[in-house]
Amino acid sequence: MGCYEGQLAGWVAPAHPMTVSKTLTIAALVAEYSTALYRVAFSVTRNAAEAEDAVQETFLRVLKHESRLGEIRDYRVWLVRIVWNIVLDKKRRAKTRPEGEDLADHARALPSGDRPADASAISSQEHARILALVDRLPEREREAILLSAVEELTTTEIAEALGTTESSIRSRIFRARKELAVLLEKEGIPR
Amino acid sequence: MNGALEPGSINAAIDGALRSVGTADPAPGLEGRILMRLAAARVKAEASPARFSLFAGLRQRRLPLQALGVLTSCLLAVVIVAGSVSHSRHLRPGQIVAPPSLVLPGHGIGAASAIHPAAPSSAPLPAGQGARGRSVRRSGRARIAPHAPKAPGVAVPAPGSGDSQN
Repeated sequence: MGCYEGQLAGWVAPAHPMTVSKTLTIAALVAEYSTALYRVAFSVTRNAAEAEDAVQETFLRVLKHESRLGEIRDYRVWLVRIVWNIVLDKKRRAKTRPEGEDLADHARALPSGDRPADASAISSQEHARILALVDRLPEREREAILLSAVEELTTTEIAEALGTTESSIRSRIFRARKELAVLLEKEGIPR
Repeated sequence: MNGALEPGSINAAIDGALRSVGTADPAPGLEGRILMRLAAARVKAEASPARFSLFAGLRQRRLPLQALGVLTSCLLAVVIVAGSVSHSRHLRPGQIVAPPSLVLPGHGIGAASAIHPAAPSSAPLPAGQGARGRSVRRSGRARIAPHAPKAPGVAVPAPGSGDSQN
């Protein structure tokens, strides 16, 4: 049993009963939402390490505000909002387009299936180009279409996370897809 | 290539690209790594000494020890100052100069103007010589012009008495 595991055991089972429930809540949140949060982060960063870092930071913030856990109505929306703010903040600070947009990350993100390696690589390039076009969309449309890509999130949850209405999200996604199609028409898709 | 693309293929391409980020799977063991980082953060927070803050105790809704210390030192400082003042007043009462008694005029502007003696008037300057004496700076030493009018009672060295070396 390593040092970290020992610390983890101590953290998961502290003495105070109130802390136990809080800790178990955080552990349950990690178990239930970490993958969805990773996808939300990855949709912006397109980099596995950065996305994971953002998810870890999200739960560190949850730990800081663990006293407020009882007041949260919808954990999924709350957590998505936190991770979303974290990745946008990081991106703003970096002031660059997603640099980690490497093919290895895209290749790993793709479902393995029975496709030959060449087809997967071409598909990754194509996806990378389309996602680069997504980054050129206006902010509102971009946010809506990226969050709509995360399969765990419903339109209602996206609307709550972005602080707007469901119909607004639908129209933003529609506009984003339309604009994206125009850009793709102009630039073409590599095949 | 910029060939004409069918709307269906464009939509399929967009969906594929979005699916690639929306279904991305983290590296195995993400949950464990998150829990370990949380555990490390908690251990670090518990191990690090609490920073000095006057209001830390207020946040915790108990009397802050630091605030108590500051209050005690403030009280001590007040007691020391008060004791010192009292001591200086009572130890040597004979040496304390009695304040001058005010003689208020029966009429006039007020007491403040009454107790100030008027300044002695100086003799008026000769007509045409209203300019004040100015010092002439030469080689770093101030001099008064020989013919400058002086107020009565001002000692002036005789012209040429100490300027020979200048």
